[in-house]
Amino acid sequence: MTKQTLDRYRLSFTLLAVYCVLVAAVTVILFPIFWMASSSLKPAPELFARNLTMLPVAWTLENYRNVWEGTSFPIYFWNSFKVAALSTLLTVLISVYAAYAIARIRFRGRGAYGILLLVTQMFPHILLVNPLFIIIQRVGLLNTHAALIVAYTAFSLPFTIWMLRGFFEAIPQELEEAAAIDGASQITTFHKVILPLAGPGLAAVTMFGFIRGWNEFLFALVFLQSRDLFTLPIGLASFQEEYTFRWDLIMAGSGIITLPILFFFLLMQRFIVQGLLGGAVKG
Amino acid sequence: MFLQRRARFAYFLVLPSLAVITLLDILPIIESVVVSLQNQNMGRSNPEAFVGFAHYSRALFEEPTFWTSLWKTVIWTAFSVAGAYLVALGLALLLNMDIWGRTLFRALFLVPWVIPDVATALLWKWLYGDEFGVINFLLTKVGIINKPVLWLSDPLMAMPAVVLVQIWKLYPVMFVVLLAALQNVPKELTESAVIDGAGVMQRFRFVTFPFIKATSIILTLLASIWTFQAFDIVYLLTGGGPAGATKILPTLVYDKAFWGLEMGYASAISLLMLLCLLVISVAYLTIYRTQGLQADEARA
Repeated sequence: MTKQTLDRYRLSFTLLAVYCVLVAAVTVILFPIFWMASSSLKPAPELFARNLTMLPVAWTLENYRNVWEGTSFPIYFWNSFKVAALSTLLTVLISVYAAYAIARIRFRGRGAYGILLLVTQMFPHILLVNPLFIIIQRVGLLNTHAALIVAYTAFSLPFTIWMLRGFFEAIPQELEEAAAIDGASQITTFHKVILPLAGPGLAAVTMFGFIRGWNEFLFALVFLQSRDLFTLPIGLASFQEEYTFRWDLIMAGSGIITLPILFFFLLMQRFIVQGLLGGAVKG
Repeated sequence: MFLQRRARFAYFLVLPSLAVITLLDILPIIESVVVSLQNQNMGRSNPEAFVGFAHYSRALFEEPTFWTSLWKTVIWTAFSVAGAYLVALGLALLLNMDIWGRTLFRALFLVPWVIPDVATALLWKWLYGDEFGVINFLLTKVGIINKPVLWLSDPLMAMPAVVLVQIWKLYPVMFVVLLAALQNVPKELTESAVIDGAGVMQRFRFVTFPFIKATSIILTLLASIWTFQAFDIVYLLTGGGPAGATKILPTLVYDKAFWGLEMGYASAISLLMLLCLLVISVAYLTIYRTQGLQADEARA
């Protein structure tokens, strides 16, 4: 055997080994999610069988129907959607302008503003939740969605501004200058020339804002008291007391809360990864 | 003239974000400091009475709770971050090859990151179940254990069990960033190292790692900050139990504030927590700077 064919054999052997390890890793890592899906599609008795099966023996959507029709889940779902969507809208609106300013304009205090964004990103939520509870109680917004929407916006902003900045910096400066020479005002230039080019950045930020609002637990837990205002995370968590040992319902509920996020993530993962790399840790 | 107008435009653009951040990030910190110096125990009269550093001295000197919680938080953070880093690095190195399906694998490895904390906690609770949990089922079937392990209700097992969940949750972001950093390693360097006869470990240590060292330091810093203050997973899985085995600082603060209704004491503890985070940050950044200088000297 010549050395070249030997090398080629060795290479394909390494490749095979790499694939084996990768597939094994995916299997282990995604197993919890697989098990959630599988459990949610089993009839309740199968969940508590002596001999567990990996896939449902009798596939059923019964659990999903029971959660959707038998509990307050639709209300939680709608509340979560409303809070996440509105806070995302606010986040995107505010961060787009701020990010453009720090990416493109030199102004006094720009450095300090950048540091403020970095520092506030690190504030522990558990530290903010007590004083915010007191403040929000004082202004009479306790037990409202408005409080949550504003809070989620505030906590997303530092990160989303930082992230969008990277996208704006990647747009060639000449485009703007050309528009300025053509006599367009600053704000028009931004809206007509720059913003359309930042599409991927906007997609990433929208996704981040939404995921955050959809998943957030602690503030919803502390700020909301009426059941009909609950968002999905605390609604689902309350199942633990309300429907103890009803793992059929809990797993179907977990499936419902996870599915939309997972779907959008897989659809837009390119932009999300791009945003994560541009904004979270640069360099 | 134009520059001045431009700067004014910038302030106008930044203003809304500044307002929101001040109101909901800065103001609460100030409020928190004020509250930590006040009586603020529900049920006691005169909640706004000034008590000085009474809450701080209670946390630091009079009760052991803060110190035991701090120690648990350090363990929880150290093991979670180290575990997540190793998993992330391993997967990133594997995917740093020109193989078919890279994007797909990258997406799949990122999935745990988007699963909502509540779903994460509940599904792991189901996996960890004593009697009907699939982990116990599989381990029994393979013959590793002969009676179910009480993952979440055995004080010895609870911490490792919650750490594993946090690793699962934490590694994806580290993985994506490390993978991106690995792409910056020049191919020629690794190739010439191979020609020079360097083994896999040597290649990693002397060729690859120097390129991802800075990223690794920043990543572990960020991951430590996130994990040190993480609340959801532990609260939902064990609530700090059994018998306080997983009572990390965030759960302690929550309990004191919203169950004990001791806002002042809770605020004092959470500010001490912030202080710990500052110490971690400064320590890391010092390492980063000295290491960075050394690297520069080596290159020169």
